[in-house]
Amino acid sequence: MSEYTDFEMIAYTGSRILEDGKIVFVGTGLPIIAATHAQRTHAPNLYMIYEAGSLAPILEMGVPLSVGDTRAAHKSCYLKGLCSVFELTQRGFTDYAFIGGAQIDMYGNVCSTIQGDYYHQPNVRFPGSGGAGAMAANCEKTIIIMALEKRRFVEKIDFVTSIGFGDGSADYREKAGVMGAGPYRVITNRALFGFDAKTKRMILLEARKDMKPSDIQALVDFELIIPLEVKVMAEPTEHDLYLLRKVIDKEGYFLKRVIK
Amino acid sequence: MKSKASSKIKEISKLKYEEKPFEWWGLTPDKARKIAVNKPHGLYNKRMTLKEAVQKHIKDGINLGIGGFVNTRVPAALIHEIIRQGAKDLTLSFHSNSICAEWLAGAMILEPDRISIKRAEIAWWGYEIIGIAPLLRYLTSRGLIELDDYTNYGMSARFKAGAMGIPFIPVRDHGGTDMELVNQGKMIQCPFTGKNIYVLPACHPDVGIIHVTAADIYGNARIFGALCTCPEIALASSYTIMSTEKIISTETIRTYPNLTEIPYVAIDAVIEQSYGSYPGACYGHYWFDMEHLQKFRSICEEFRKTSNKEPLKKYFDEYIFGCQTFDDFLEKIGYQKLKQLRELDGGQPIIV
Repeated sequence: MSEYTDFEMIAYTGSRILEDGKIVFVGTGLPIIAATHAQRTHAPNLYMIYEAGSLAPILEMGVPLSVGDTRAAHKSCYLKGLCSVFELTQRGFTDYAFIGGAQIDMYGNVCSTIQGDYYHQPNVRFPGSGGAGAMAANCEKTIIIMALEKRRFVEKIDFVTSIGFGDGSADYREKAGVMGAGPYRVITNRALFGFDAKTKRMILLEARKDMKPSDIQALVDFELIIPLEVKVMAEPTEHDLYLLRKVIDKEGYFLKRVIK
Repeated sequence: MKSKASSKIKEISKLKYEEKPFEWWGLTPDKARKIAVNKPHGLYNKRMTLKEAVQKHIKDGINLGIGGFVNTRVPAALIHEIIRQGAKDLTLSFHSNSICAEWLAGAMILEPDRISIKRAEIAWWGYEIIGIAPLLRYLTSRGLIELDDYTNYGMSARFKAGAMGIPFIPVRDHGGTDMELVNQGKMIQCPFTGKNIYVLPACHPDVGIIHVTAADIYGNARIFGALCTCPEIALASSYTIMSTEKIISTETIRTYPNLTEIPYVAIDAVIEQSYGSYPGACYGHYWFDMEHLQKFRSICEEFRKTSNKEPLKKYFDEYIFGCQTFDDFLEKIGYQKLKQLRELDGGQPIIV
């Protein structure tokens, strides 16, 4: 088996999750790489939507460095503005949200606004919701990318920026007035998580071949649901790595970085 | 006005924040309507220089709506001129921005008596792949500016409500998140479905600043590439200053009226400024200058880490204060770089 990096594993896993014939609302970076990989392998009829206003562009100019990039608008089917694409999403045409963040809790609520507990003078200010809050609210399924670290997988997040299942109660999302079904998968470099249908809590689905479920739990601050059967995460093949490195991110903007 | 409808955010939130009474951070819908009614609505030549436009419309204490999206079609030339002329106690309104917001923040750090940001109603302030915005982090961690957080769609919908002449707009996001606790929106019960729905107040900036692909002298504008929320910002703002890559004839506008994304009535000043979004990108004209964005960001990051203002001051002295016009700035960037950025756009098809 060939050597791969954490980011390559995340991009490959993201690709595996995306089904053909769907629309994925992508944020900058790995979501775009994952969706492009899916298009070039098992999901040729999967399309991307970008928040600055484009639907189904053809990424033949290279990976967009911004979701407003000319590269992300090039040869799209429909090119308007933020209102248009977010309204398509509210209306029900967007299947997946693909977001990141700084912290996540067991119900898939995500923080990307502040670190610290005082809103008006936080220890660290992050960029803010951007598109993520609306994507997590109204795309049908939310996929979250996060590095698997104890400081990120926490009991209580500092600021709920992107809605998950709230406190896990059955009507949390309905009372919030949002439309999508909620968190679907959490992709990390070492494990893939889903959510238990009944309790809405995070459940371990797959672990990297060198990780036992107890190793994964040790990197998570809250209690995971660990089923009897945990699959081994599939690894990218030579061909997948060729696509990721030489075709999709050939300038190396995203995959050449390392997780700190 | 206490609404009975509520989400369950308080059951999971650990946030500490001050309860604030509702307040319009821009104009009220009634005031904004009045200004629009009292404007002349004929076709008047609105061409002027950046200097004249900023002198005429930018005042202390205004709500400034900023167009574009992160690094895309941002009103860079207008921000430079605003910084040169100065404006204090600004309220900024935008969804996502990078260098325009950071330039204003940098100017505020260097010359607070010339430029200052009092508060910002926004969704996102950063550089995407290039990194976080150091000056935002600097100002917020010291409590020097007040923020009001929305989603990108939230801010766009607020401008859209302003553009539609309605006081608020229902949206399907913000509910169940901490934004609900701190921003100016409210959870209400839908009068028709009986279900909870979040509503946001319209946003009417005093002045909107945008950059477009092409426009005639009256302000009829074409935008190619992502529209971002520029048409809505132009219509929602009481006054809109618009720079354009190119002035085109009204005959062309009238031949293809469907291509007009912003009608002339929304525009109060038209400035022809090629490369007006540089170092941002303008579809069909030029790609963004990653090198310059990175250079400015790293100077800001250095300031954040060391508190040494010298490199920041040097940058502003060279590229903003030391320039009379935006063309002077472009001259410093040089033809070779601008030519390269034009090539990187790949000649996206536009109709001008």
